[in-house]
Amino acid sequence: MKPSNTPSSDRLTTLLYVTATVGAALLAVGAFVAPDRIWSNLLVASYYLVTLSLGALLFIALAYVSGAGWSVAFRRVPEAMASLLPVTGLAVVAVVAVRLKDYAWHPRGPHSGDNFWFKDWWLEPRWILTRAIVCVLLWIVFAKLIVGISRYAGPHSGTRSLTSNVRLSAVFLVVVGLSFSCVSIDWLMALEPMWFSTMWAVYQFSGMVMATLAAIVVLCLMLRQQGVLKGIFTDDHLHDLGKLLLGFSCFWMYIWFSQYMLIWYSNIPEETSWFITRTHGPWLPVFVANIIVNWAVPFLVLLPRPAKRNPGVMMKVAVLILVARWIDLYLVVFPKTVGSTPVFGLWEIAAITCGIGLFGLLFFRQFDSASSVPSSDPYLNESLHHHC
Amino acid sequence: MNERQLLVTFDHADDLLSAVETARRERWSIVDVFTPYAVHGLDRAMGLRPSRLTWVCFICGAIGGLGMLWFQHWVAAIAWPINVGGKPWNSLPADVPVAFEMMILLAAFGSVFALLAVSRLYPGKKAVMPSGEITDDRFVMVIRQDNAAFDADAARDLFEQAGAVDVRERVTDEEL
Repeated sequence: MKPSNTPSSDRLTTLLYVTATVGAALLAVGAFVAPDRIWSNLLVASYYLVTLSLGALLFIALAYVSGAGWSVAFRRVPEAMASLLPVTGLAVVAVVAVRLKDYAWHPRGPHSGDNFWFKDWWLEPRWILTRAIVCVLLWIVFAKLIVGISRYAGPHSGTRSLTSNVRLSAVFLVVVGLSFSCVSIDWLMALEPMWFSTMWAVYQFSGMVMATLAAIVVLCLMLRQQGVLKGIFTDDHLHDLGKLLLGFSCFWMYIWFSQYMLIWYSNIPEETSWFITRTHGPWLPVFVANIIVNWAVPFLVLLPRPAKRNPGVMMKVAVLILVARWIDLYLVVFPKTVGSTPVFGLWEIAAITCGIGLFGLLFFRQFDSASSVPSSDPYLNESLHHHC
Repeated sequence: MNERQLLVTFDHADDLLSAVETARRERWSIVDVFTPYAVHGLDRAMGLRPSRLTWVCFICGAIGGLGMLWFQHWVAAIAWPINVGGKPWNSLPADVPVAFEMMILLAAFGSVFALLAVSRLYPGKKAVMPSGEITDDRFVMVIRQDNAAFDADAARDLFEQAGAVDVRERVTDEEL
């Protein structure tokens, strides 16, 4: 059931190939010209992409564990995203490994171990790298198993493959809760090792799920337009994804504010430092824009029911949220690694185009390598007739 | 006021849906449709307008949220300024949680009470049902015979062909 290559998908492949190549070439040049900025861009891009594929696996696992039937019809989309974990995972580990010294706990004086023995132990560079590798390997294994079982379920496998995937997904949910908390703290929060926030992992989790939902919306609508998911991905599926997107946009805002307000209220210098740099001077407009594009606009646009059923509106909001996710991560990484002024130029564009090109190319290759609908899933019929 | 009604009973939701479409095509006025559970697509088949409850919810939520922001600002910065931890009197972050809670409270109460008022429900109200079967396993469509041109026998034939298990006429002054 491999979809035939239409002229539009051929053009898209060429376009993605060109953007990926040009972006990569520019990044390679930039690595010598502006290494700090290139590294920051690579960290944002690889973290962005690894959380997209991890979020997709989380979406699949949640559907399995909750016995959700509605999302089965377009499950090949998050499955193809999750199949990219070996690439995106390797990328983020490589980026972190290159600059392990930046994560080193500092200052490492002779007596610093007394007060900060835990930080001393936790932020040991080799230990950070070990954790990164272990977590990413775990995700890859679960992605291979869950996606593999779903893809190669025979027409007469009945509920057997469903049952194995429900069990695997339940274990994966525990694994991802622990591992994602660790690495989101390691890779992003530890860039400023003196600063800490107990809301960090859930803040990163909310952004991950929101961006994943937006990416699923964009990709499903693209595939429907190409004809592959025509009549399979319906406006009712779009509506439900829109509700989730609205919900997670509000959840992101809720968590963002919870983190901000706790720190604002207690007003302890070692906690406020992170926000001081981001709410003063030229970073302030980015700080405010982050809230507007991540929550205010999606919230107001997605509130009415017709908006969530309208492919045009949903496409625009989903793309806006994908941009917003980049701004959110940019605001986490750049004030520390690049400096006191926001920068946006050739290197940022290079990293973004390279990321989009690579992800798109690999995604469509993965998507084309399996049937476009999980035809042996017992819930498929329910999903095709989903009404909401 | 007494009115003549036609009570059409079905065993299957699919028959009900197609009968609702038939009734709409014939321009008979449907009083209401009673089902033991929510039947998907029924609102579309009946041609119901989208609920206006969302607007009640939105407006109540906006009143709660903005009203509480204003009230806290008035209390903390205008009427009785108190220095809390050296923070400015008009501190927005401190006002957000209460405004948020009030927004949800008013939106929820507004929706619930608007629903009760519009459907004329109140505690202890006696249920008016066209038939007891609708709480068990049957679907009932109630049609109002609102003009002389309505041919009850023709309608009965049409519905029985469409799978109705029972078609009954009644004259009632009950408001369903």
